[in-house]
Amino acid sequence: MRTDIDLSASYPFPPERVWAALTSSEALGTWLMPNDFAPVKGHRFTFRTKPAPGFDGIVHCEVLELDPPRRMVWSWAGGPLDTTVTFTLEPAGEGTHLRLQHEGFHGLAAQLVRRIMANGWPRILRRHLAGWLAGKTP
Amino acid sequence: MNDGAVAADRFAALADPTRRHLLEQLATADRAVTELMAGLAMSQPAVSQHLRVLRDAGLVTARKDGRHRYYQLRPAGLTELRDWIDQLERFWQGRLAALGDYLHNTELHNTELHNTELHSAERHNPRDQAEDENRH
Repeated sequence: MRTDIDLSASYPFPPERVWAALTSSEALGTWLMPNDFAPVKGHRFTFRTKPAPGFDGIVHCEVLELDPPRRMVWSWAGGPLDTTVTFTLEPAGEGTHLRLQHEGFHGLAAQLVRRIMANGWPRILRRHLAGWLAGKTP
Repeated sequence: MNDGAVAADRFAALADPTRRHLLEQLATADRAVTELMAGLAMSQPAVSQHLRVLRDAGLVTARKDGRHRYYQLRPAGLTELRDWIDQLERFWQGRLAALGDYLHNTELHNTELHNTELHSAERHNPRDQAEDENRH
């Protein structure tokens, strides 16, 4: 059962090129969101997007890990959500395999549901949760 | 992203171990506050406060039965949480595709820039310039 967001993508460019696109404020502004990122461990920065009720449109981040051109971890906090985003790059032939993990919120909910299931869940609730549990198992 | 605010409240509600414990109790049956207090070293107002947070987050509902108020789990709250995660996942999928576009576009741009430089270098070749002038 899936506990967090875990995505992969392959790009026909070497890790150094992909790394550059992940660690340039200008590049991030093009493919992700406007920001004041700097590739420095401990640097605090924000992404700014459209505000919505209960969300001021600002994602507060910090560079937690920086290991060029292999791995970068950001803290990612918007509203009361406090999560982490991890980028992992691996050479794949002449290209790059990128893994993106967004963790820290779904795990708790998923663990709870799993434990409730183990303790015996009434049939009606089990039916409701079928989608949740079947949902994203690879 | 109004859903985002609701989901954020739900995640915050689930972040607390007491409230996760309460949800587990409610998973097996509807219960009154006094039943939920068993096993928790906590006053009734404190438990009621936690239940209120869970209600506000849409994870439990309450119904009055005579003089007692019974709490029950609201499974839709959990499935909605999953839907919100799915939405966030689609956001990242879109961004990763945009990263691919960005890489291709900058590659094209670099190639064009390179070609332009080559082209202007040729232009500066006097022979080319002479040919250009002859053509006109």
